[in-house]
Amino acid sequence: MSVIETSHLTKIYDEGPVAVRAVDDVSIQITEGEFTAVVGPSGSGKTTLLNIIGGLDRPSSGSVKVADVELGDMNEDQLIKFRLENIGFVFQSYNLIPVLTAKENTEFIMLLQGVSEKERDTRVLQLLDEVGIGEQANKRPSEMSGGQQQRVAVARALASRPKFVLADEPTANLDSKSAENLLDLMLQLNKEENVTFIFSTHDQRVIDRARRVITLEDGKILSDESR
Amino acid sequence: MILLKVAWKNIWRNKVRSLVVISAICLGLWAGVFGSAFVQGMMKSKIEAVIHTEISHIQFHAPGFRDEFNGKLFIPNSTNIAEKLANDNEIEAVSERVISMGMLASANKNSALRLVGINPSDEKKVTNIHTKLVEGSYFETNKKRPIVISKKTADDFKIKLNSKVVFTMQDVHGVIKHASFRVVGIYQTSNNMYDKMTAFVDISQLKKLYELENGSHEIAVWLKDHDQAEIKAKGFQENYQTLEVKPWMDLSSGMRMMIEAFDVYLYFIVGIILFALLFSILNTMLMAVLERVREIGMLMAIGMAKKKVFIMIMYETVFMTMIGVPIGFLLSWISIQYTGSHGIDLSGAAYENQGFESIIYPYLEAQSYVEVTIMVLIMSIAAAIYPALKALKLRPVEAIRKV
Ligand SMILES: Nc1ncnc2c1ncn2[C@@H]1O[C@H](COP(=O)(O)OP(=O)(O)OP(=O)(O)O)[C@@H](O)[C@H]1O
Ligand SMILES: [Mg+2]
Repeated sequence: MSVIETSHLTKIYDEGPVAVRAVDDVSIQITEGEFTAVVGPSGSGKTTLLNIIGGLDRPSSGSVKVADVELGDMNEDQLIKFRLENIGFVFQSYNLIPVLTAKENTEFIMLLQGVSEKERDTRVLQLLDEVGIGEQANKRPSEMSGGQQQRVAVARALASRPKFVLADEPTANLDSKSAENLLDLMLQLNKEENVTFIFSTHDQRVIDRARRVITLEDGKILSDESR
Repeated sequence: MILLKVAWKNIWRNKVRSLVVISAICLGLWAGVFGSAFVQGMMKSKIEAVIHTEISHIQFHAPGFRDEFNGKLFIPNSTNIAEKLANDNEIEAVSERVISMGMLASANKNSALRLVGINPSDEKKVTNIHTKLVEGSYFETNKKRPIVISKKTADDFKIKLNSKVVFTMQDVHGVIKHASFRVVGIYQTSNNMYDKMTAFVDISQLKKLYELENGSHEIAVWLKDHDQAEIKAKGFQENYQTLEVKPWMDLSSGMRMMIEAFDVYLYFIVGIILFALLFSILNTMLMAVLERVREIGMLMAIGMAKKKVFIMIMYETVFMTMIGVPIGFLLSWISIQYTGSHGIDLSGAAYENQGFESIIYPYLEAQSYVEVTIMVLIMSIAAAIYPALKALKLRPVEAIRKV
């Protein structure tokens, strides 16, 4: 069953002197449990595509369905709620609330969802253990390394039990060792918990670990390979 | 709950900025409360000065007397009434006065003046002119026909202690009378107009001159409780229907107007302060929001409802207000207590000529404290609305893209 289905997605920016087709006629399907990398040179439309899939941005034409729900039919408040309940986000940076500890950051999203205290406590500890941050649970983002912060971000993304996790260049700010570790973690969660991941990246070693690679160029799909 | 916690912690991210806001609230409140207290203190001291030196709490007159000070309009049987009033246990003291409008003349000058005949020992209990003497004494003399005049009159007439003056007036039958008096005391109040117009002699001498047997023009009453004046006056009016009984606020024509003018002035001051506060909080909170664009964008991206973002930012201001207001309140209270008992000396500022005391004792009623505090609270919270709304306008995609 496909979790995400886009059809003829197009995003045109025409504020500048020339109109930019940031995403150009993209139709893809992502099935539950996939581990997909969206790759391509800078400016090829990776971020734009992920933002549209994540309900953060709207296409100029075409449509996105997530779990058979048409995102275009929702207003902004409905989209926020939809994101909270269905999508886990990992950004390149500024993922965490600076004033809260790792544990509190992970818990935060569950608080927004209204999850009971008992369930929150067990899930937070379990997740932080899984991402290897158990020891750092009471540290604030500023007291952790970039890699550790991204791990907390992954834990936070999973805490909401989303249909899939979207990660736009999650490793871009990490050194190569941390980047590989983060990817291994994501792979492991993908296998063990059957979490669907879609992420964008530039990093060849990260690309090598993906099981499906969608390559964009000038907003168009250049290739879509599964391996 | 989590929003409260995050909001609380957010305040301490930029300590300097938060302290600026807290101090602004604190200072705004202080300025508002203290400013009000200053103005009220000024007004209260002015009122008290007028009551104490000029009019006392309640006055009885024959109807119409106050219009033209027509000597024929006297209170018959006034001594009996005065004695009766003196037995009322809410009344501290009573003084009878005989009043005549006439001409005062010295060798150099003559001019219109209101001569007030008093019984010094009674009058001392009702007004405090006897404490305002700058030269001579308040009828403590064995001179024959003593008169106490103001410093203003003494200067205008170029007369001194022991000078002789002549007063010309009409008696109750309309006959012109002259009498000479000798200056035994010179007083000075803070009200130039009053000083210019008023001089005192012994009541029995003025009565004789008037040919007024059993009566006087004014009975002044000093109450034990200042605040009872209006109610007591109403009660007396019912008991003495042939007379006109008025409380202090209706006796001085300028008094009601002044009280109202001061109220306007007060609203003006507090208004300006509150606006300054509004803009300083608005500005700072706006900065705090703009600085966190990415973070707020992230929160909305991961699914934090706009309502919650709004509430979180409002909480931050509410917290700072809740810190600033009690401190400001305490500060105001302490400074009003201190200056209220020690006074603020304004003698350099030329207030005296307008009838103000040169030392101001700030004073504020409990109700005004509460009013100003509530206004500061409302203003602070209102000031946060715009920045909080601004945060809602953020589009997560754009917020996140900014690196
Ligand atoms: N808000 C915008 N207004 C105008 N043009 C935009 C806007 N956002 C993106 N673009 C343009 O759309 C195109 C795709 O941008 P996008 O950020 O999706 O690329 P990307 O593949 O994520 O690049 P990178 O690898 O540098 O992150 C680019 O040409 C970019 O300049
Ligand atoms: Mg990008």
